[in-house]
Amino acid sequence: MALIPVYGRFVGDFTAHLVAVDTEDTIDEVASKIAVHAIGRRLPEEPLAKGLEVSSGGRTLAPTSRLKDWSPQPLQWLDVRWKW
Amino acid sequence: MPLAPRGAPKNLEGTTTDGGRQRGMLLDRDDWYDIAHDLDWSLTYVPHETAFPDAWSGSKDIPRHAWDAWEEPYRVSYRDYVAVQREKESGVAGVRDALKRARVYERLVPSVAAVSHLHMGATCMVEQMAVMMLGRSARFAPSPRWRNISVFGMLDEIRHAQLDLLFSHDLLKYESRFDWCQKAFHTNEWGIIAIRSFCDDWLLNANCVDSALAVHLTFEHGFTNLQFIALAAGAMEAGDVEFSNLLSSIQTDEARHAQQGFPTLEILMKHDPQRAQRVLDVSFWRSFRLFQAITGTSMDYYTPLSKRTMSFKEFMLEWIVDQHERTLRDYGLKRPWYWETFLQSLEHGHHALHLGMWFWRPTLFWKPSAGVSKAERRWLNDKYPQWEDSWGVLWDQIIKNVNDGKLAQTLPQTLPALCNLTQLPIGTHWDRHHIECVTSEYRGRTYHFDSEVSKWCFELEPERYAGHLNVVDRFIAGMIQPADLNGVLQWMGLTADVMGDDAGNYGWAADYVPHAQFAG
Repeated sequence: MALIPVYGRFVGDFTAHLVAVDTEDTIDEVASKIAVHAIGRRLPEEPLAKGLEVSSGGRTLAPTSRLKDWSPQPLQWLDVRWKW
Repeated sequence: MPLAPRGAPKNLEGTTTDGGRQRGMLLDRDDWYDIAHDLDWSLTYVPHETAFPDAWSGSKDIPRHAWDAWEEPYRVSYRDYVAVQREKESGVAGVRDALKRARVYERLVPSVAAVSHLHMGATCMVEQMAVMMLGRSARFAPSPRWRNISVFGMLDEIRHAQLDLLFSHDLLKYESRFDWCQKAFHTNEWGIIAIRSFCDDWLLNANCVDSALAVHLTFEHGFTNLQFIALAAGAMEAGDVEFSNLLSSIQTDEARHAQQGFPTLEILMKHDPQRAQRVLDVSFWRSFRLFQAITGTSMDYYTPLSKRTMSFKEFMLEWIVDQHERTLRDYGLKRPWYWETFLQSLEHGHHALHLGMWFWRPTLFWKPSAGVSKAERRWLNDKYPQWEDSWGVLWDQIIKNVNDGKLAQTLPQTLPALCNLTQLPIGTHWDRHHIECVTSEYRGRTYHFDSEVSKWCFELEPERYAGHLNVVDRFIAGMIQPADLNGVLQWMGLTADVMGDDAGNYGWAADYVPHAQFAG
């Protein structure tokens, strides 16, 4: 278990945020920690979306995998978007 | 040097001797100027390079004799300078006294007052840093004429810093935010760090040649017209007569001494044109990004709608872009390689910065006006046809939160990602559809940038920037304690009496309340 700072951007928002995540977090949990800074603040909720997905460097990260499985680096850029 | 005047002697008031006036013996300036401005030394105790080290002077590979051709763009003697500046000072003092009696400041709407809070905090110490920059030129510039003219530039900048402090000191009794005129540059407020970063690089830590190109030619001659003329016009329209008068008076000095960049450019174009192109291109981008934050927001969001004479983009295109392109053409330079990106940034960047600054408003020392009432939004869409898709969507959620009473959702819980060059939020060089994750690795450290342009600036001279930590870097390094937003606000020096909030107290959001709410 280790806290790591990442840059999390919700696609459609105008900036990324500094987000503290844990290497033991699932990707779904990471997605939620990033989304909270954009959804309901500058972007609307999407009740019809099927959830969130996370990508980094062009790769989509498996939602139930853990962040540590992807060898995260400090201030790594993660993109979160709605899953349809 | 002849003791008797050539030509008709001028009868000027001068120093008195034996209690009487000296008459008819003073020379015309042009009679002695060509001798005086070439005052120089043939050094014998030390080599020239010891007295004029290249790290300060910046001559590099330009041969020494090339600087003989440096011709100052205007001629002024100390006597002339004092006479003219004295008149200007009388004018400013007269307006100041009249407006104090009229209590103009007390009648300003909050968004207009905010423009002067932002301006004073953001620019006063830049003027002071310019004193040091010109002091360096007065001593180390590679031409004696340049050294001479720099002394007058120093005096100008002393005047500017002191005028800002005087203006702000007068108004402290109404508004404690004016304390930030002097205080700002001694804090870690993030916007001030962005300005200070540029000034540290180009005013305090650049040699004379580079600072002439980056500051006189680009920042001063290119951009300060934005803040000091366009904004001054808006301020005058909006009733902030004293602020407008102050800016106009300052700009008369600036327009003069900013011309100092041109003779330096002429010599660079003969001997090292690539260096000139590079310095201009870096400083144009970095200056532009700062003016987007300071002037773009003030012109397009804080100035009351009925008082806006031009949009930020319109003014930039007419006064800065046109002027800069002409300069480039006249001197044989090319447009910067990033010109298309610059034009996109002109369309969007200040809207991004405004949204970010409003959202992160507790981190400001002034109160930003949201500037998105329905009428203002129509104006924004008229001037910037893509505004609704790029920014309106985001503001709609904010407006909904305000009207639902969810103010906490309109405030941040963390820091935005920040550029390691401009210190500005990543995503603010364009719009939300064009955010890039731009990085560069240097000596084992990863640097983040708001754009490929900022990355390019960094990679040209990484050693200049490599040791700097932006606010996010300092936060994750544990330098800001407690490590939360309150800790950040404290670290930035923001006290409850200056911390930003919406200038209109959210009343503008009522524009969007559905009419059905009022149905009987």
